[in-house]
Amino acid sequence: MELKELIISISSLMSVSGHEGYSEKELNDIIGGEFDESFRDHVGNRFFVKRCGRENAPKILIDTHLDEIGLMVTEIKDGGFITVAPVGGVDPKIMQASDVTIYGKEKIFGVVGSTPPHLRRPDEGKTLKPITELLIDTGYSKDKLSELIRIGTPVGFAPKYSELANGKIAGKSFDDKACAACAVSGISRVAREDLAGDVYLMLSSREEVGSPGGAAVGAHNVDPDYAMVIDVNLGKTPDTPKNETVEMGGGASFTICPVTDRKMTKMLIDEAKEKEIKTQICVTGGSTGTNTPAVNLAKEGIPTVDVGLPLKSMHTCSEVLELADAESVSALVALFISSKKIAEVFSR
Amino acid sequence: MLDIFKKIAAAQGVTGNENDTAGVIAELMSQYTDDISIDNLGNLIAVKKGTGEAPQRIMLCAHMDEIGFMVTYIEKNGFLRIAPIGGIDYCSIAYTRVRSERGVRGIVAPEAKVKAADFRADNFFIDIGAKSEKEAARRVKIGDTFRFDSDIVKLMGTRVYGHPIDDRIGCAVMVDIARRLDKVELKDDIYYVFSVQEEVGLRGSKTAAYAIEPDIALAFDVTGTGDVPGDTPMACEIGGGAAIKIKDSSVICDPTLVDELISVAKENKIKHQLEVLLYGGTDTASMQMSRAGSRAGALSVPARYIHSANEMIDMSDAEACAALAAEFIKGQSK
Amino acid sequence: MTKQEKLELLRELCLEFGPTGAEERVRELICKKLGDVECKTDRLGNLIVRVPNEGAPKMMISAHMDEVGFIINEITDDGYIKFANLGGIDPRVLCGKHVTVEGKNGLIPGVIASKAIHHQSREEEKKLTPIKNMYIDIGARDKADAEGMTELANTATFDSEFVIFGENGDFIKSKALDDRLGCAVMIDVLKRLGENNYFDLYFCFTVREEIGISGARTVAQTIDPDLSIVLESTAVADLPDVPEPRRVAKLGDGGAISLRDNSTVYDREFVRAALDIAEKNGIAAQIKKYVSGGNDAGSIHKSVDGVRCLAISVPSRYIHSPASVISVSDYLSISDLVLAIIENYKE
Repeated sequence: MELKELIISISSLMSVSGHEGYSEKELNDIIGGEFDESFRDHVGNRFFVKRCGRENAPKILIDTHLDEIGLMVTEIKDGGFITVAPVGGVDPKIMQASDVTIYGKEKIFGVVGSTPPHLRRPDEGKTLKPITELLIDTGYSKDKLSELIRIGTPVGFAPKYSELANGKIAGKSFDDKACAACAVSGISRVAREDLAGDVYLMLSSREEVGSPGGAAVGAHNVDPDYAMVIDVNLGKTPDTPKNETVEMGGGASFTICPVTDRKMTKMLIDEAKEKEIKTQICVTGGSTGTNTPAVNLAKEGIPTVDVGLPLKSMHTCSEVLELADAESVSALVALFISSKKIAEVFSR
Repeated sequence: MLDIFKKIAAAQGVTGNENDTAGVIAELMSQYTDDISIDNLGNLIAVKKGTGEAPQRIMLCAHMDEIGFMVTYIEKNGFLRIAPIGGIDYCSIAYTRVRSERGVRGIVAPEAKVKAADFRADNFFIDIGAKSEKEAARRVKIGDTFRFDSDIVKLMGTRVYGHPIDDRIGCAVMVDIARRLDKVELKDDIYYVFSVQEEVGLRGSKTAAYAIEPDIALAFDVTGTGDVPGDTPMACEIGGGAAIKIKDSSVICDPTLVDELISVAKENKIKHQLEVLLYGGTDTASMQMSRAGSRAGALSVPARYIHSANEMIDMSDAEACAALAAEFIKGQSK
Repeated sequence: MTKQEKLELLRELCLEFGPTGAEERVRELICKKLGDVECKTDRLGNLIVRVPNEGAPKMMISAHMDEVGFIINEITDDGYIKFANLGGIDPRVLCGKHVTVEGKNGLIPGVIASKAIHHQSREEEKKLTPIKNMYIDIGARDKADAEGMTELANTATFDSEFVIFGENGDFIKSKALDDRLGCAVMIDVLKRLGENNYFDLYFCFTVREEIGISGARTVAQTIDPDLSIVLESTAVADLPDVPEPRRVAKLGDGGAISLRDNSTVYDREFVRAALDIAEKNGIAAQIKKYVSGGNDAGSIHKSVDGVRCLAISVPSRYIHSPASVISVSDYLSISDLVLAIIENYKE
């Protein structure tokens, strides 16, 4: 599958935090063929393994989180309206007039209500309704709706994708499923015999709601020799500081900070240069805001590189990525899992 | 269950000082379990061994600790300066009766003229009626804990109020589960964990879960409601039955476990409701993400006025929690 | 037309691009749908179809072709597009929405962006973002790149799906239901109309309703009608959190007939007659129970020596957003009602 197609098909799947198992079959159908085995654990992490075929080979972990931000039903009201609570960092600004899908016994279409200017009261001119006060309109009767959904039923934003200029695509949940697609694509580029070890792709759960999320548990389960965490990274826009963002079209980003492994990062950057893979560097003084610390602190400590895919408008239904950047991430994954140099230094 | 609950609630247990409560519970649990121990942090762990060849480990957990105050300084005129332990909302505890671990009575109050919006630990003190530092120091030592002096009292019907309901009711529910499972042959190992230091960040359950490595973990705690005038809407009320937790701000429960609990409640006609709590955290979170992770969930007793000196619940909800948990375990473990 | 065909007609009309002042595409689509009926476009872009009965009282039936949207007022150095509203749009429905922008060579997709939640301060998180802090991202690398694709003063509108939803497929969610639904009703009525009508009929598809400087005015001045029916959308709030007196009208109870709104006091006799005709013919209709909004009747009733006006609106939740909702049955019954009025009403 083309990378673009792979990104869109994985990003479209329902995987609201805590409910990552919902699309298990569809996910297996899309990516299962690239791997030798797959399994899952108690907290919703999913693992896909590609073996190098050698005994006692090092274990290489690639983590991207599978979950996406979303909503959860809190009440079913007369007239088929529901109220919801946010799951993860949902911006209340993107809610009104959005299309959603309620994942009950059946998939139900819903639209988030908004107040037309005609009926807006003078006192609500400048306020933003909290998510919990918005009504979602389903067009069902309360009785029928109550048969199909319950309090706690997950609600996701409806998938919609547009192709913008210069190979950019806009849509929902590229955070972090576009990275999952890049990882799958990168892993499929490398022939089994060229792998530097057994590759464990972890599609981790609950990143958007947890500190730590499922990745901490997953890394404990796999106990890899070394790891790469891939997540989206805030792309530069006119209203954001330059040193807190990365350049769109600037290639895969490396975050360098106290929790990422400097030596491994340096080695990978050097190899990427040789292979003419476009990369850029992002520096933070604290942590990464990704699964990196969770993976890094598992068991006796796991050397980890943190790779980012530049993404604009993060946590909206119109996140924007550039395909050239996705290609760089994919190439970087392929390079990482086949690098004999890194395996030599970092395998136990 | 009310008598047992009163007994457990009467014991001292401000966070970090839970031994008294542990002693009371250990005595109650000894008749129902095979082994009782206290771990390094002070968690009380009672085990009922299963008969199966490859038993699952099912961990049940309620916390013993309660919110309160610790004395940090004694003023010249005998007033006690304090630090909060756990999430104290000063507006809801101003002018409340308190009692120290040595039995000294007093009142917690704000400095004169401080407006409610400015309430914080720095401008609160405890007045034990002492005339001077010297007199106070005879009965109180720096580091002593004070708890609310607020016995559990029965109200109308099955409703009760007092302190600490959070989370001695969870402890009482677990003792009742043990009673219900007494003499029932189970193939799985049941770990009853009465945890410490929940109110300061789910600390006790974390180490207990690490040691036990449960396959399934269930917490028992109180939850907020939406049933008092002016409340933010929440489809959860006292007297509405056992609240099966779906989410709070610390955790999203395992969805398959939630479904199983709902169907057990339906099959056994146990009154239940579903809980999506927009704030708060519980031991569920720390059990879920320990080591290799567990399928974690929680049953909650809906409570009003949580973290005040007069929390209120309906005992029928606690009964429903115990019944539901016992039936769930029987179903898992038969 | 079958119900299916009527729904398909509405879908095509709603999805067509036509913000205020850029109604050409909608007009072309309507002409195509009308087939070989003779239509005339006036100097402002209004489309008029006459079904003549020389010497008879003149009845003007109108609906507007334009929809709310945006107009480009700046292209930034970074290649983003700043915009102003065309018509009343609440800023709360804009962040993160997909849009269609009028390009130099056809329409191009874009998205409305603003600062990501990760970069918002605690204060900003709670406040709504004003339109001046939003921009459309079309994927351009810089100003020159963007200017190659589109230009200042081009328009844009929402890009949103047309969805039939609800328990029995009773509801429609789309952009631009205001007022493509009125256009669809007129096309349907024109196709169902018999010969030998009592009135000299003018079906007018108008421009520029949403900004209030309405194309309907010149149409009315030219035709000089005796009577006028305005087909519109009315914002309703039949929602559980709104007190009964402020709900305006109810979805599924038929077209809402206005007694008055902010622009017009409607002709009492015409209103009463319309309600009677609805009742006699078993067609659902309701009275709009709240004074809000305004429409083309505002310009029509005051033109020349005055025009007796009737407004029939489809009750619509969340209008002027990318996701307005109407009831399928209201769409069908409004069409029946308009036809019944033409056939049965005598002055």
